[in-house]
Amino acid sequence: MNSPSISGRPHGGDSRSNWQALWKYRHFYLFVSPFFILFAIFGLYPLLFSLFLSFTKWDGITAIHWAGLYNFRLMIHDELLWRSLWNTLVIGVLYIPPMLILAFLFAQILNSQWLKLKSLYRAAFFLPAVTPMVVIAVVFSLIFSSERGVLNYLLLSINHLLPFLHLQPIHWLDSENWSKVSVAILVVWRWTGYNMVLMLAGLQAIPIDYYEAAQLDGATAWQSMRHVTWPLLQPVFRFCLLLSLLGTLYMFDEVFVLTNGGPGTSSTNFGLYLFNLSFTDFKFGYASCVAYSVAIVVFGVSLGINRLNRRNSEVA
Amino acid sequence: MNKATKSYGVFIRLATYLMLTLLAIVFVFPFYWLFTASFKTQAQIFVTPPHWIPSHLMWSNYTDLFQQTNIVRAFFNSVITSAGSVLLSLFLCSLGGFAFAKYPLAPGNNRMFAFVLGTMLIPGAVTLIPTFEILVHIHWINTYWALIVPGAVGAFGIFWMRQYMSANLPDDLLAAARIDGCSEFGIYWRIAVPIAQPALAALGIMNLIGSWNNLMWAFIVLRTPSMYTLPLVIYLMQGEMSTPWGMLMAGGVFTVLPLVIAFLLFQKQFVAGITAGAVKQ
Repeated sequence: MNSPSISGRPHGGDSRSNWQALWKYRHFYLFVSPFFILFAIFGLYPLLFSLFLSFTKWDGITAIHWAGLYNFRLMIHDELLWRSLWNTLVIGVLYIPPMLILAFLFAQILNSQWLKLKSLYRAAFFLPAVTPMVVIAVVFSLIFSSERGVLNYLLLSINHLLPFLHLQPIHWLDSENWSKVSVAILVVWRWTGYNMVLMLAGLQAIPIDYYEAAQLDGATAWQSMRHVTWPLLQPVFRFCLLLSLLGTLYMFDEVFVLTNGGPGTSSTNFGLYLFNLSFTDFKFGYASCVAYSVAIVVFGVSLGINRLNRRNSEVA
Repeated sequence: MNKATKSYGVFIRLATYLMLTLLAIVFVFPFYWLFTASFKTQAQIFVTPPHWIPSHLMWSNYTDLFQQTNIVRAFFNSVITSAGSVLLSLFLCSLGGFAFAKYPLAPGNNRMFAFVLGTMLIPGAVTLIPTFEILVHIHWINTYWALIVPGAVGAFGIFWMRQYMSANLPDDLLAAARIDGCSEFGIYWRIAVPIAQPALAALGIMNLIGSWNNLMWAFIVLRTPSMYTLPLVIYLMQGEMSTPWGMLMAGGVFTVLPLVIAFLLFQKQFVAGITAGAVKQ
């Protein structure tokens, strides 16, 4: 701590100088107080109340019933919960690799010296990240439409030109097998530009000397990418990956508007499941329990990954 | 460099341009489709083969939109709630960030700042239900406050402003202002805020995107059509059986356009705002 006076024992003189220090810096406390007040109301209290709710049964209207560990036992047998977590995983696996590769590719190209019209390309790829998801999901449901959608029209046209591919129209939104793919496509479209911008910032932070040195040593373009860009971009990559994983878990708008989790529950991710539990079924107690448990597991896992990463980077 | 490698390089560049342009078209296509569909009839929207370019601009979707829905009111609601949350958040975050950056000797500064950072770990999903309950109790359901206040001071905003002010606000300047008799709040308002404008712009844009696009929270706390924001109106326009697609697309254009225009005008600040999120790590 900066100020020695705070650590004093409760001697008369010390505590007076404590008060003096606090008074001297009263503006500091005044200026930061809005955060702490709002956090107490809309952060800390909800955090504690939701922990309490985890052990109760409550619909938000009638009296709260203490339920002990009942909710936790319920979770084990809640097929929809496990299904939604599984869907989250599948959607993540479907979209994260193509999205990060595409974002890296775009960033790499947009970072090259010779490219003209950079801001135009960047705008095109980035625009999806600033547009309201509702509107986009509605447009996509038009594009994905089975009988009259543009996407199936293109598939059929390609099939017409190259019949040996045997392309069939796909039931993008009304087949259990394809609904997750459709969500994944929407997410790739929406978030690639965002990740591109993050990676571009990472690339621009790499000193140009490194590349010059690599070139002097006779490295090819591929080698300097493999041995300069790749290792130095690791932190950004890891950050993008973490954001995407968390994003998939708590994603809502995309799924809610495009498929509403369907058909059946084939595209219900955790975010939508939790929302339905809370604000369709009004199972506030159980929903709190699920939200808490998953958050704790996620926190533990990311802590573990972080520690593993640190150890790895220490070894390297 | 000999001639062969040079022409090889030109070829690579041309191929890159071609691929990049194709992908850019794919990325922009949904916007184009939204825009053109807003000028088509229901039948034209679903015709095969699709009309890539509308034969003529039909404005009836827009006139229907203004006559049959509350879109103007929703636009107004969106503007009020977005402006409210952006301004409140900019004010409180910059005030807090200023304090954390410029009073390093205040007892507890470091520990309190660490606490602020720690709150970033709390996922919104956990606090959703109690926050809703609080709003019910203080009768804020179906009010603008419900959309403006709960997210007003984010830990990230404070962190962001603190970093910027630590780096760009010289202590000498503040000391000089103090000697001239400027109050502490005056120093913040007249010196810190003007200097921190780039950081404020980036943070404001980040918040603007979040609040203009917010669907879930609007869905939870808004009850009567006169309070609906644009995303909610768009969402609810989709019917179970029949959806007025042309009108829906016109509404979509109406919702998307303000942000798209803002983005094209302030591309640099938008990118800075988005990149700001990455500094978190």
